[in-house]
Amino acid sequence: MITPRWLPWVWLLPAGFLAAFLVYPLVNLTTTIAGGSGAAALGRLMSTGLWQVTALAALQATISTVLALVVGLPIANVVTRYRFRGRAVAQALVTVPFVLPTVVVALAFRTLLGSALPLGFALVVIAHAYVNLAVVVRIVGAQWSQLDPDLENVARTLGATRWRAFADITLPSLRPAVASSAAVVFVFSFTSLGIVLILGDALTRTLESQILRQTAVLLDFPGAAASALVQLLLVTGVLLLGAAAGRRNPARRMRPPARRPVSRDPWARLGVYGTVTIAYAIVLAPVLALVAASLRSSSGWTLAWWSSIGSVDAGTTRLGSPVAALGTSLGFALVTATVAGIVGGLAAVAVLAPGRVRLVSVLAMVPLGVSAATMGLGLLLAFGRPPTDLRGTNLLVPIAHALVAVPLVVAVVMPALRSADGRLALLASTLGARPTRAFLTAYGPVLRVVVVASAALAGAVSLGEFGAASFLTRAGAPTVPVQIVRLLGRPGEQSVGVAAALSVILVALTLALVLLVDRMGQSRARVPA
Amino acid sequence: MKFRAFTTILVGGLLLTACASGNSAGSAAGSAAGSAAGSAAGSAPSTAPSAPAATTVRLLTHDSFAVSQDLIDDFTKRTGITIEVVTGGDAGTMVAGAVLAAGAPTADVLYGVDNTLLARATSAGVFTPYTSPELDSVTPPLRADTAGGLVTPIDYGDVCVNIDDVSLADKGIAAPTSLDDLTKPAYKDMLVVEDPATSSPGLAFLLATIARYGDAWPDYWTRLRDNGVLVSGSWTDAYEGQFSGGGTGDRPLVVSYATSPPAEIVYAEDPKPTKPSTSVLTDGCYRQVEYAGVLAGTSNEAAAQQVVDWLLSEPVQADVPLSMFVFPAREGTALPQVFTDFAATVDNPLQLPPQDVADNLSDWLAQWGSVMGR
Repeated sequence: MITPRWLPWVWLLPAGFLAAFLVYPLVNLTTTIAGGSGAAALGRLMSTGLWQVTALAALQATISTVLALVVGLPIANVVTRYRFRGRAVAQALVTVPFVLPTVVVALAFRTLLGSALPLGFALVVIAHAYVNLAVVVRIVGAQWSQLDPDLENVARTLGATRWRAFADITLPSLRPAVASSAAVVFVFSFTSLGIVLILGDALTRTLESQILRQTAVLLDFPGAAASALVQLLLVTGVLLLGAAAGRRNPARRMRPPARRPVSRDPWARLGVYGTVTIAYAIVLAPVLALVAASLRSSSGWTLAWWSSIGSVDAGTTRLGSPVAALGTSLGFALVTATVAGIVGGLAAVAVLAPGRVRLVSVLAMVPLGVSAATMGLGLLLAFGRPPTDLRGTNLLVPIAHALVAVPLVVAVVMPALRSADGRLALLASTLGARPTRAFLTAYGPVLRVVVVASAALAGAVSLGEFGAASFLTRAGAPTVPVQIVRLLGRPGEQSVGVAAALSVILVALTLALVLLVDRMGQSRARVPA
Repeated sequence: MKFRAFTTILVGGLLLTACASGNSAGSAAGSAAGSAAGSAAGSAPSTAPSAPAATTVRLLTHDSFAVSQDLIDDFTKRTGITIEVVTGGDAGTMVAGAVLAAGAPTADVLYGVDNTLLARATSAGVFTPYTSPELDSVTPPLRADTAGGLVTPIDYGDVCVNIDDVSLADKGIAAPTSLDDLTKPAYKDMLVVEDPATSSPGLAFLLATIARYGDAWPDYWTRLRDNGVLVSGSWTDAYEGQFSGGGTGDRPLVVSYATSPPAEIVYAEDPKPTKPSTSVLTDGCYRQVEYAGVLAGTSNEAAAQQVVDWLLSEPVQADVPLSMFVFPAREGTALPQVFTDFAATVDNPLQLPPQDVADNLSDWLAQWGSVMGR
């Protein structure tokens, strides 16, 4: 292994970021509520209620994950490996459910499926799979696009069936990404809040909903801490498992792959276009429902909601102008994408360094397990007052968003780095390249593609995030999701109509952002390594 | 290795968190006896037309807070005090944050703690005493409602069952007139309520039933359950998803606010309808009062007190109905016509003492959960 001199130190920046914005706030929060006897808290940890919720949430999350994989893998295959018209849009579209505020998704689902399915387990699982499609498609897709199709072709030439070639060559190579994405989907479903609140019933509670109730209704901080601890430990465990399951990886690629055109075989065409059509249908149905809602009133079709976007709540502290909210959201998204891309990218690169420093990539996954309420309160107490007061700076929200997004970046980048061919570095170095140059020869192209792809995901997370934003924003500078949720929180046709219009804008914005970033990633990737 | 230190701190910190128990945030309330009692506030220098030395007061509030921007600008012009509004999530989360920061606050003034959570906030030492000179103008029943001089009532609202009159008329059913009616077969499968553990109006409705039925309240809920009540996780879903009068749902009865019918008019498509299609069941309403208080530990006490006075001032009180759809606490404040026409006036609202709520809430929620199977 060729080790550039800087490689053992890359962990410093992500570790510093996480120490400042994850560890410090949590420790600070802990010392605030610490004190009293440990026995009572231990009793809470042992309470059967807590473990009942944990078991139910784990079951729900497992089924959600399986469903997301079953639907997501064929889509990932098609949109990352084939060349066809509308491919880029299809790939970007899959990201949309992920960024819609959960309350919007849940209401759209309720409208579409409410009459067919009762509230409860099935509806929650379907909604979770829907929201997390992007995670599977992005994480697995990022790796799939790096696989050398020639390997599979060679296997076919040697007589393997299509299925055999897939199972023996492609699937093992994808294992790190599949494991990684499965772990992330599990964690998102396990810690879900908005969807569970709206579409769930007694059997679909999560620890997160428990924590919210203990924090915001009962002000029972020790109880909330017990739930938060269980959640954190479980989630960290699952993420470690996900990382471990993907560690060994036989497939190596020697040259950048190219997307192939869809073959002329009618069955292959049917497979590709069929998958795309189904993906479009799945993703577009709720979006179209939103478009319709933004154009309808009790008296028929109307443009009133679109034309009143600018004037609703004008002159109050509730809203700046919608244009300002769009600007705020976009600004936060860009800062989040940059910070999460750098921090998460470096944390993932640390995996390649010798020794224990690679553990920083595990630490970088931890924010996924920290409950949103805990993180919000922690950041507020740590950075909402002197001596470290960041509240006036507009930095708190993107920092919170970056914390949520860093694990996603790591989840995308790490498996791709693992499957990149380290021998290229050796080769380059034998040919006289310095260690840094050799390192970049082996990992540079992969890094460019996956870091850009995951930064787009991070930006999307920021665009759609509501919880932290509602916690930490200053009035007059709300993000678009905050505006949407506020509008939905009051009566009146206009409230629903304008919220739907803003949701449509959010969808369009996401699509634009993801398309743009994907394109940047593509054009860079084409530069020969 | 340094990384190990991080993990140790992290894990250790979380273990500590788990081992903590009830004794939250101390009680730092007593320290502020020497407060200037607002005398500095009233005496703006009459010589200088422009403001005195500029200060900024941070106003911590929940995410439904709204006031006309003009009023804030006008206040700044008059006093030189800039108001920076910061939100702390919904009302419950905001209060939780304030309790955790008691004594070393993240803001100077808090607005929006209600009578459900008030006792938790005051006993944690969130507020420093302040009696506003404007308190005399508050309507008599609320005037004494200050938790011993710690907070100032700013506005109130009633959580009531709303009725979709059109839908009931179509069905040929008369509107219910009491909480008891809701358990009758005529209204089977018609009511949607919010989960009290996750929704503020849901909790208020539970408290209303406890105030009305006393120890027999679980029986009432058993009857509601047997009559097909639907429990929803949030007001948004209940009102806009399930209620036939507010959205796409098919249930004609929902727990909402006494001011929801006028809001239906204000937030309707132009031309506005002349009257709302929904009305309010004025029996069994729970009164929510919202308070403001100066946060203990603020370095800006005098200016913070001026902001409390401002919240009770005539122009802000007149702004409150259409900004937040609540009733102003100030006596004699003129209400907008859409309020006088369509907001329900509740003669005998139900209420529970804040301390009772603080002491029993956890048990009540657990009991409600076991009755409703949630």
